[in-house]
Parts: sequence; C-alpha cells; structure tokens
Amino acid sequence: MLKILGRATSSNVQKVVWLCEELNIAYERTDIGGPFGGNRDAGYLALNPNGIVPTVDDDGFVLWESNTIVRYLAEKHGKGTEFWPEDLQARASASRWMDWALSILAPRHVPVFQGLIRTAEADRDYDKIAAARDLWSAANGVLESWLADHEFLSGDTFGLGDIPASPFTYRWFTLDIEREEFPQLKRWHDTVAARPAFRKHVIDIGLS
Amino acid sequence: MLQLKGRVNSSNVMKALWVLDEIGLEYEREDIGGAFGKNHEAPYLGLNPNGRIPTIIDGDLVLWESNSIVRYLAATHSAGVLWPTDASARARCEMWMDWQLTELVHGMVPVFHGLIRKSPEERDMDAIDAARDDWAGKWRILDDHLSRNAYIGGDSFTMADIPIGPLAYRWYELPIEREAFTHLKRWYDLICARPAFRKHCMTGLS
Repeated sequence: MLKILGRATSSNVQKVVWLCEELNIAYERTDIGGPFGGNRDAGYLALNPNGIVPTVDDDGFVLWESNTIVRYLAEKHGKGTEFWPEDLQARASASRWMDWALSILAPRHVPVFQGLIRTAEADRDYDKIAAARDLWSAANGVLESWLADHEFLSGDTFGLGDIPASPFTYRWFTLDIEREEFPQLKRWHDTVAARPAFRKHVIDIGLS
Repeated sequence: MLQLKGRVNSSNVMKALWVLDEIGLEYEREDIGGAFGKNHEAPYLGLNPNGRIPTIIDGDLVLWESNSIVRYLAATHSAGVLWPTDASARARCEMWMDWQLTELVHGMVPVFHGLIRKSPEERDMDAIDAARDDWAGKWRILDDHLSRNAYIGGDSFTMADIPIGPLAYRWYELPIEREAFTHLKRWYDLICARPAFRKHCMTGLS
C-alpha cells in the first residue's frame, strides 16, 4: 500500500492526501515533521535528504516533492479523469499553475502563515507580516486575472492545476488579515471548498 | 513557428533556449525583461500576468513557468529521450525539477544578484555569505545524489538536467568560496561538453 510520510497540517501533505481521496487511492499516513519531528532522523533523511515533508513510498518507489507526487499518482490512478488530461497542451497549462504555486505563491504566503499561526504573539514581526501580505495579495491578483477568463486554474474543469494553490487560498480566506475583494478568486475557492475531499483534508484540519 | 519571449541572460530563459536547441526546434525570440523592459506592459501581461519571463507561444498555447515549458517541449518533441515515457522514471526527473524551484534557486538569488546585479556599495556581504552557505547545502544534496547517478534523472541526460544547469554555471563562475563536490563537478563537466549548453548557458554573468 502507498505510504505517505508527513503530518496532516502541512499544506504539501494536504495536496497528496486530497488527491488520494479524490481518486480513491488507499494509503497509510505517518505523522512526521512539525511537533512530531522525525524529519531530521537518519532514517527519514535517507529517503528524503531535504528533511521536509511529504515523502511517499509506493511499493518501494520513494518520491518527494509534493507536486511531483501529485502528478505521479494522478497519472498512475487517474488516467481518463480530469486529473490526468491526455492532451499535452492541457496538461502543460495545468502544470504551470503547479509550478507557480511553488515559485510564487508558497514563498509569499509563508511569512504570513508562519508569522500569525506558528509564532507566539510576543515574537511576531508585524511589519514583515504586512509586507509579505502585500506580496501575497499581488499573487492572488494574478489568480484573479486568470480566473476572470477561466472557470478553473486547470481550464474548463477542475483538475491537477487547481490542487497546489488551493490550500494557500484557504489560508488566505481564513487568516486574520486584510483582504482585497477578489470576486473571481472567491468564486473559484467556494467551488473547490465544496469538494468533500478538500473539506476533509484541508478545511477540517484548520490552521495550526 | 514557436515564439519565445525573454532576454537571454535570464537563467529561466536559458532553460527554454537550451531545451529548444537540444531537440532542434526552430523558434523566434523577442528580448523582454531586464534592460529591455516591456514585461510590465499590457501586451505582455496579457500573455503572462506575472510580468516575468520566459513565455512561449506554440499554436494556441501560451505557456509560462520555465520548468513547465521544459516539460512540455520535452514531452512533445523528445518522448523517450529527454522525457522518459516510464511514469516512475519521469517522476524521478520531475522531483529534481521541482527541487530546483523550491530549494536550489533560493540560495542562488541573493548571491547572484548581490555580486552581479548590485554595485559594490549596495552589497550586503553578510547576506551574500549566508545565502552562499545555504546554497552550498543544496549542492551537497545534489552531489550525494550524483554519487549514485550519472545524470540528475538517472543513467542518461534528460529534462531533469536542464533547470539545474544554468544555476551550476553560476555556482562555478561566481567569485565565491566553493566546496569540492566531486560528483557535482563530474556531472557539470558532462553538461559543459554539450554544445547547446555552451551556446546558451555559458555566456558570462550579467
């Protein structure tokens, strides 16, 4: 059975368990990282030299980098579904939003999320949090412009490209921060949030 | 004909130039970004709302994010060579391509921008030194991987080598302290022997 190593509160782990739920992939998950530790132990580092989560072990095939895991599992279990379009242009277009979530969205959200949720109030640097919030908002503006012309990040239907950005958008709409009006982003997020698998693995976990 | 938008001294544009040359695809390129500007003007933002480079136009597809461009071009023009057809072998490549975005690039940016795109008076040497140390830690991970693999994706040259190549050039060319990393150097020498890498990626630091 597929083994997933990583705590359920990690947005990167959430991408993987969410996809597994969508595609009915059986798995066993082990809490690693954050308060559970273990991610700097020699056994874990031998699987993933970066010491971060998630890592998966698919009958001996070890893989890390959450977006790559999502693509790998979607191809293996989701051929013929919206999670693995056969058309290479459609797949590339969805894939670009996966890369974008890594290169732009994640680093801009980190100082806000870590600052407000994983830092004690007395230790918070509110100027740094506010500056990061502005950059995060600009990235959400990019999503807003795309979603004005497209139903989903993946195109006309929900799919692979919508997964990596969604846990961050949940955080955007849930954190105690100033928020600009992004009506298209809100529309898209409400559609994603209505998916039972997203509710179970992201919303019901909450922010911690 | 495929169109590529972006200035040639961007490491992200270099990825696209290099893969295009490896697969022998003709293209037209337009200088955008940096000294050439235009990346924050309406026509370009209509293609790429991030205002970043590169962007390609291939028929009806307008695509940005350099690693997605590399994957797409490898999939459409080099299946079985640069783009492994076996899903596990391909995932192994994509893992390191994502790693370039999530891990390797972050140490590079403060070092490269600090030493090359800032004047000596503007430089924060403490920040540059700290970023170099972080960057070296990432190369150490790759060096270990390359002690067991000829290339980043395994036994042969694949799309996995492409995002990391231009950053390796900077690592070896910048005036910084460098650990020995013998496996990384062995791989880098293999990459440097490729004419397309020499042409597009070994072009000085600017």
